[in-house]
Amino acid sequence: MAVVTLERISKRYPGGDELAVDDVTFTVDDGEFMVLLGPSGCGKSTTLRMVAGLEAVSSGTLAIDGVVMNSVPARDRDIAMVFQSYALYPHMTARDNMAFGLKRRRMPAAERERRVAEVAEMLDLTPYLGRKPHALSGGQRQRVALGRAIVRDPKVFLFDEPLSNLDAALRVSTRNELIKLHQRLGATMIYVTHDQVEAMTMGTRICIMNRGRLVQVGPPLGVYRDPADTFVARFLGNPPMNLMEAAMLDGPTVRVGEATMPLPSRVDPSRLPRTGGRVTFGIRPEDLYEQPPADIAERTAPLPVRVTGIEPLGAETLLLVVPDNTEQEIIARVDRNSTARPGDRVVLGLDTASAHLFDADSGVTLDRH
Amino acid sequence: MRDTLSTRFLGRTVLLAILALYTCYSAGPFLWIASMSLRTTSEISANAYALPETLHWEKYIEAWTGSNYGTYFWNSTIVVVSAVLALTIIGAMAAHCLARYRFPGNRVVLFVIFSTLIFPPQITIISLFQSLVEYRLYDTLLGLTLVYIAIQLPLTVYILEGFFARIPQDLYDAAKVDGYSHWEIFWKITMPVGMPAIATTVILNFINLWNEFLYAVVLITDESNRTLPLGVQKFMGDQLEDIGMISTGLMIAIVPVIVVYAFFSEKLIQGMTAGAVK
Ligand SMILES: Nc1ncnc2c1ncn2[C@@H]1O[C@H](COP(=O)(O)OP(=O)(O)OP(=O)(O)O)[C@@H](O)[C@H]1O
Ligand SMILES: [Mg+2]
Repeated sequence: MAVVTLERISKRYPGGDELAVDDVTFTVDDGEFMVLLGPSGCGKSTTLRMVAGLEAVSSGTLAIDGVVMNSVPARDRDIAMVFQSYALYPHMTARDNMAFGLKRRRMPAAERERRVAEVAEMLDLTPYLGRKPHALSGGQRQRVALGRAIVRDPKVFLFDEPLSNLDAALRVSTRNELIKLHQRLGATMIYVTHDQVEAMTMGTRICIMNRGRLVQVGPPLGVYRDPADTFVARFLGNPPMNLMEAAMLDGPTVRVGEATMPLPSRVDPSRLPRTGGRVTFGIRPEDLYEQPPADIAERTAPLPVRVTGIEPLGAETLLLVVPDNTEQEIIARVDRNSTARPGDRVVLGLDTASAHLFDADSGVTLDRH
Repeated sequence: MRDTLSTRFLGRTVLLAILALYTCYSAGPFLWIASMSLRTTSEISANAYALPETLHWEKYIEAWTGSNYGTYFWNSTIVVVSAVLALTIIGAMAAHCLARYRFPGNRVVLFVIFSTLIFPPQITIISLFQSLVEYRLYDTLLGLTLVYIAIQLPLTVYILEGFFARIPQDLYDAAKVDGYSHWEIFWKITMPVGMPAIATTVILNFINLWNEFLYAVVLITDESNRTLPLGVQKFMGDQLEDIGMISTGLMIAIVPVIVVYAFFSEKLIQGMTAGAVK
């Protein structure tokens, strides 16, 4: 049982002129896997370290299970943390590394041994228990770091980019192991990453940060489908959402380049600018079609474009296109059998039900929530 | 390919030659004294550089019993061992705080400690003498120990701070999360992980203090309080022209240094190369 609550948390490092974390509020429910996602320097690690008690909270309230933790030292918070560098104690064997936290808690030696052996078995570490960290591979070190957290059976697990030092294949398999681990332990976990694939696949919810501020919290697909602003829209998704300048016309309709289309169905009409006002129009690459499938054909709008490049990726093909009467290159994700060539003029079908409008200045969504 | 190999070979040879020369230069006098310590003075005056024909081990017993060597040795051991012990613990604690905690004036404190290194010892010796007399510590082993701690502390703190500051912060954070207090973290993380640097300072302090003469000669007068360097000086005075006996006395004084060095040197080398390897 552990619920972590952050209420209006801010952090200013001594000597820092800007807030590293600025008025962040969110709750991690019991058993939830919360991912903190954002670009480098946005304050993810700082937030996590405040939860861990490794950095003091400048203002706001941090609570675990309703108990205010602001001035509780890290050692009394009953949390475990896995570091990006793994932070294994270099002078101790893998076994001692894992048992170190249990020793402090005065657990009887036999019980301690049993727990370490059990977790080592689960992580395939049994043959390496007698080795020191320098004699382990990167993946083994990572698992020892993970094991050190698991044996503690803490209230909350904290992870700070634990997979970023692994090679691509190992990263994928460890990612899946972590997902299974979460299901098995059912523990509350907070996971920091700047990798959106990790965020999308692992999180029960993700919490997107930018420049110290919390931009959006929600389940991965929810955030992907309904980004709160243009930052989230471009940050999640690869390739990112296409954003184009557009103008409001009577009707009301929106004009993007040559194309005039009906208002995206999800837009909240009361928040729209007056006729003639500017907006930012957003459409994901997968919502642009060369041949719209029959079931969505009636809600697509035609977008005449010139093809400037093609990227066949095998499973799909990316078309780089410039809509008529604009300078901006956007990306369409189309069928792998596409026959388009650079220089071709084609008319793409744009799924208006999946399009978004954002305020042209603030970037905040104009969609209904 | 062959080119680079032969240049590397040449480089190695030159390097080896230089090292061999340097080894002769530094080890030569020592080996010479060692061989003379096993020869009688008449043998030495016949041929100063010859190797010992018969090994006169009995000279060691004679040197030890013929003077107050037992007392000198014991005094030196007490003073140096307790000073090195105190230096290691106090120095490591100070270095740990300076390296790991942000507090106002942190760098100023380090700079002040470091700047005392540049003063020659002669500057402080008169005032030290005065202070020791006032505190009734003049001509006592305790007084000399305290002075030894004081003079070696800046270098100790400086070396250890440099090393401790390079220990990754994550280790400390991990230990905190694992439930350990600052005090426990010092003993369970800083000390073992900093072992190479600690070995370096132990050797350095031990050698410097074991051979220390200037402070000892000013601050100690009583025969029963003499440390080895003072004893060796008196012994040399007593033995006058007896080169063979003086060599034997010198060897007795040097042996502990060699033992300590041999014991800690592996760690020392690790400490000196730690920056290069990481
Ligand atoms: N100890 C510190 N002292 C001063 N400023 C710091 C300190 N640690 C971090 N910062 C600043 O706080 C801001 C947030 O840093 P933080 O480490 O939380 O970013 P992050 O989101 O974890 O980035 P990354 O993905 O690169 O790890 C940055 O601007 C950083 O420069
Ligand atoms: Mg970080």
